Amino acid sequence: MKTATVLIIAIVAQAAGDVFLTKGMKTLTSLETTGGGPSESLSQVLHLALQAMQNPMVWVGTLLLIVFFVLFSAALSWADLSFVLPATAFGYVLNVAAGYYFLNEAVSPRRWAGAVIITLGVLFVSRSGHRTIETPGDELLAARGVE
Amino acid sequence: MITALLIMLVVLGGSAGDVFITKGMKQLGEISTLHMGRLFGIAGRAITNRYFLIGVLFMAVSYFSFLGALRLADLSLVLPATSISFVITTIGARLFLKEKISPARLAGIVLVCVGVALISMPSQP
Repeated sequence: MKTATVLIIAIVAQAAGDVFLTKGMKTLTSLETTGGGPSESLSQVLHLALQAMQNPMVWVGTLLLIVFFVLFSAALSWADLSFVLPATAFGYVLNVAAGYYFLNEAVSPRRWAGAVIITLGVLFVSRSGHRTIETPGDELLAARGVE
Repeated sequence: MITALLIMLVVLGGSAGDVFITKGMKQLGEISTLHMGRLFGIAGRAITNRYFLIGVLFMAVSYFSFLGALRLADLSLVLPATSISFVITTIGARLFLKEKISPARLAGIVLVCVGVALISMPSQP
């Protein structure tokens, strides 16, 4: 239950973070460059970075992705990596749906097929149990009187 | 050639990062509190944990290799290619974290890998 709750919040935060980042980054305007020397491209990168840091959408997106990473790491303190990682792949499905509904992106049949296959995969993984090793501080260990 | 090498670094760096971060978090023990002060304490121990830091370092290597790969090749090649990391990370979890991968879990992971590759391929071929 705890694993499901933490991972669902993590996945939603990640998908929302990606949407905010995309919205924010798309509003940035790149400098027109004619040449393309290394110094020019550097100044362009700096220009974009400065604009990005002033964009509230980029901030919200970044904060949501930090929330994702914190919850992802927290889940790893008790659940298997080979469970948590594929489970978070459901975020790709949410990303496709969010791109379709909120960013008006065209979604090809192949991408919908990919989303369905990922969903099937996550269902398989979620049926396999979230923990196959014991961690310190575990109730199982405590029950056996192991410190 | 350099592109292939960079993609390998993206995948291996990401997988190693995940394995090390898991090792670090497992060392801290199961988080089972919602007490703010205690959670901050755990966060403090996490970011000073050796394995966790090595994991973050590998993540950074993976990320910068990804940016490098994008300079040489299209996103439509790089992104599907990196979907193999679901399988590589699973191998790492089995070898180094001693996780038991049941047939159902393995099947699910392979499906996820195929699905992610399909999603990240370009829409118009």
